[in-house]
Amino acid sequence: MEENTALSIQHITKVFPGVKALSDVSFDIRRGTIHALIGENGAGKSTLIKVLAGIYTPDGGKIFVNGSEARFRVPRDARAAGISVVHQEIKLAGPLSAAENIFIGQLLYTKLGFVDWRAMRRRARELTRELGLDINVNAPVSELTIAKQQIVEIIKAINTGCRILIMDEPSAVLTDNELTVLFRIIRQLREKGYTIIYISHRLDEIFSLADDVTILRDGRHICTTEIGNLSREKMISLMVGREMGAEYPKEAVQLGEYVFRAEHIVREGVLHDVSFAVRQGEIFGIFGLVGAGRTELARAVLSIDKRASGEIVFRDRPENWHNFRAAISAGFGLVPEDRKVQGLCQHFSVEDNISVVAMDKLVRHGLLQRKLNDQYADEYIRRLSISTPGRETQVQYLSGGNQQKVVIAKWLMADSSVIFLDEPTRGVDVGAKVEIYRLITDLVKKGKTVVMISSEMPELLGMSDRIMVMHEGHKMGELMRGEATQEKIMELCV
Amino acid sequence: METLATSRGDKIKELFLAFSKDYAIVIAILALGLVFGVTSPSFFTRMNLTNIFLQTSTIAIVAMGQASIVLTGNMDLSLGQSVCLCCYIAAYGMKNLSINPWLAMLGGVLTGCVVGAVSGTLYAYLGIPSFIATLGMQNVCRGCARMVTSAKPISGLPDAVGLLARKYLFDLIPSCILIMALIFVVMQFVYARTKFGRSIYTVGGNAEAAFFAGINTKAVYFSAFVLGGFFTGLGSMVLLSRLDSANATNGNLYEFDAMIGCVLGGISMNGGKGKVIGAFFGVLFLIMFFNGMTMLNVNSFIQDVLKGVALILAIGIDVFRTKRSAMVSKKKAAA
Repeated sequence: MEENTALSIQHITKVFPGVKALSDVSFDIRRGTIHALIGENGAGKSTLIKVLAGIYTPDGGKIFVNGSEARFRVPRDARAAGISVVHQEIKLAGPLSAAENIFIGQLLYTKLGFVDWRAMRRRARELTRELGLDINVNAPVSELTIAKQQIVEIIKAINTGCRILIMDEPSAVLTDNELTVLFRIIRQLREKGYTIIYISHRLDEIFSLADDVTILRDGRHICTTEIGNLSREKMISLMVGREMGAEYPKEAVQLGEYVFRAEHIVREGVLHDVSFAVRQGEIFGIFGLVGAGRTELARAVLSIDKRASGEIVFRDRPENWHNFRAAISAGFGLVPEDRKVQGLCQHFSVEDNISVVAMDKLVRHGLLQRKLNDQYADEYIRRLSISTPGRETQVQYLSGGNQQKVVIAKWLMADSSVIFLDEPTRGVDVGAKVEIYRLITDLVKKGKTVVMISSEMPELLGMSDRIMVMHEGHKMGELMRGEATQEKIMELCV
Repeated sequence: METLATSRGDKIKELFLAFSKDYAIVIAILALGLVFGVTSPSFFTRMNLTNIFLQTSTIAIVAMGQASIVLTGNMDLSLGQSVCLCCYIAAYGMKNLSINPWLAMLGGVLTGCVVGAVSGTLYAYLGIPSFIATLGMQNVCRGCARMVTSAKPISGLPDAVGLLARKYLFDLIPSCILIMALIFVVMQFVYARTKFGRSIYTVGGNAEAAFFAGINTKAVYFSAFVLGGFFTGLGSMVLLSRLDSANATNGNLYEFDAMIGCVLGGISMNGGKGKVIGAFFGVLFLIMFFNGMTMLNVNSFIQDVLKGVALILAIGIDVFRTKRSAMVSKKKAAA
């Protein structure tokens, strides 16, 4: 073990009944570095984090912190050893102030034994200032933006006196601007000597942030190396375990007539006179930072939210839908932003989720036919190559990518001709992302029309025929495929 | 991930888990029958069994109503007092106003529907939490029921009323049991095989996902409450027939008995999970349990304690089972 090793993981194995989640994983993490931990879903990243956080006890192997062996039986042990985790989901007490959240579990007391609010507020303010931030530590955290809440989480973790900070996909919910702030903070922490383990699906981030990288696959350690030793392509193929084809399987499709036009869409204070038109067979990308009104635009077009004014013309006929249901019957579909909450009934089977929109197709003589349900489910599981033990499996046990395919399948079964995809690859790992892109390509090849909303510029650049850029509810411009570049898009959206 | 060989014991355990998930309550009923049959000689008499089923029928019909609401992830606290109101409205109509007893009973059923419609509107369209809306309606119903006759009972109802509960088929099966059986068979079918039934499950399973799949969630909530009211009204008329009187104690605490029945029968309080037929078994278990206890001369206060324990156990077992089956399925999915 090297002198400057902060954390050494040696031969860690974790077995769940029937599954080996971690299999003899060994690697070292250098002190004072940002160490990226990457791998596809199911690679064992979260299991490893849970072992390091004391949530799981490993079945074999040892962990050394600063050279001495550490045994974690409960999360408290890990914290005592100086390891703290910032989880993907924010775990703050919403109604309590930022200051109190930072001190949860270790409140400061006055000599008389009462809670010392002044000292806690002062310390909380100091901690935020040290990171060069301006956060109102007295306000309920629920009133802060998600980005600031996450920073409160980081401060809370630091305040436990940890030296090793594990961050589990902190970037998943942040906009580009917020990311810049987060990265600055992470680098600042590195300067102060903290060791940071950083988990993310976004390879761009890892290249700009990490010093070292460890790749896991199928519960095994694949490699640990300095970031400079790996190319992006190499990294992906190591994660996936095979050579990947093109990252963006875009195919040229003959574009048809304009299928629908959204004209002068206005929602008071949210959308300001936005117009766009989409052609048959087109992949129409919509880019914007969070708060740009992308999701809101989709909701207004699909009559989920009321429009103050504006018109939808579908196949040259003005439509006057009163609600989302009418838009669905007209042939529109929406793969919503939040797959888990809006897209799926988690404890329902794959087949019941697939048939939820087009339930009418299962009705014969006024009754639902189980057999038809099975047939449709099998058909879409095959066509979209959804990887599931069976059609009866509850969707909550599928991986993110396969869950997303189930959401897409229900609009295919409903024969939707225009499908809006809101952040279709959020939380989906690299291999599954490509499969979803391929699926999108298939859709437009079959004459369907796709509107793809995303905050990931590379995927929009890779997949769209045209990209519309939004900023604070305004349409800032449109770029054709070929002329669109990251720089041009950024110019438009600020 | 690496898959280890699953042993045969695992498979049997899995099968048992799957079976016990749907039919745990049936197993419990059989076990209970065995215990009482052995300990109390008068338990397995025709009279006692008829008695158990008579009591079960009214609460089970109301529990069918509660089930439609529980399946959407809500509960209706007004059902018990709604029963009381329905009984009084029907009895007052036929006795004091001399309306045709069938019409009066129809009025009773409609009363239940109206109460459900009010709760449903408050919840689905005005966004008032169902707990508060139905607690409010519980008090409204209690007050209205007692206003009818200043809480005095109405008894000696027209003969036609007896047809719903006190008529026997082949001198063996009381009519109310037939009515209950019919309701459960039909409704189990409706929930499993119609678009309406599936919509209730979907909304209960995840209202937001249901909305994004184009289901009119508000209308589904509303109709669940109206359906709940409908069965409450129906159950009330059967109760009225069985007791031959409207009384201020009619339906007292039925909302809870119905709810406990649903939960014991495997219907999840979070909504979207469980078979409605379970509500029948749940109520049957509850009634059997207290019948047997009374036969064994167990103090009625202790019975109340046991009822509470049964509810907690039922939920506890459900929580435990969900965790277990989650682990099993996760293994399968991962493998």
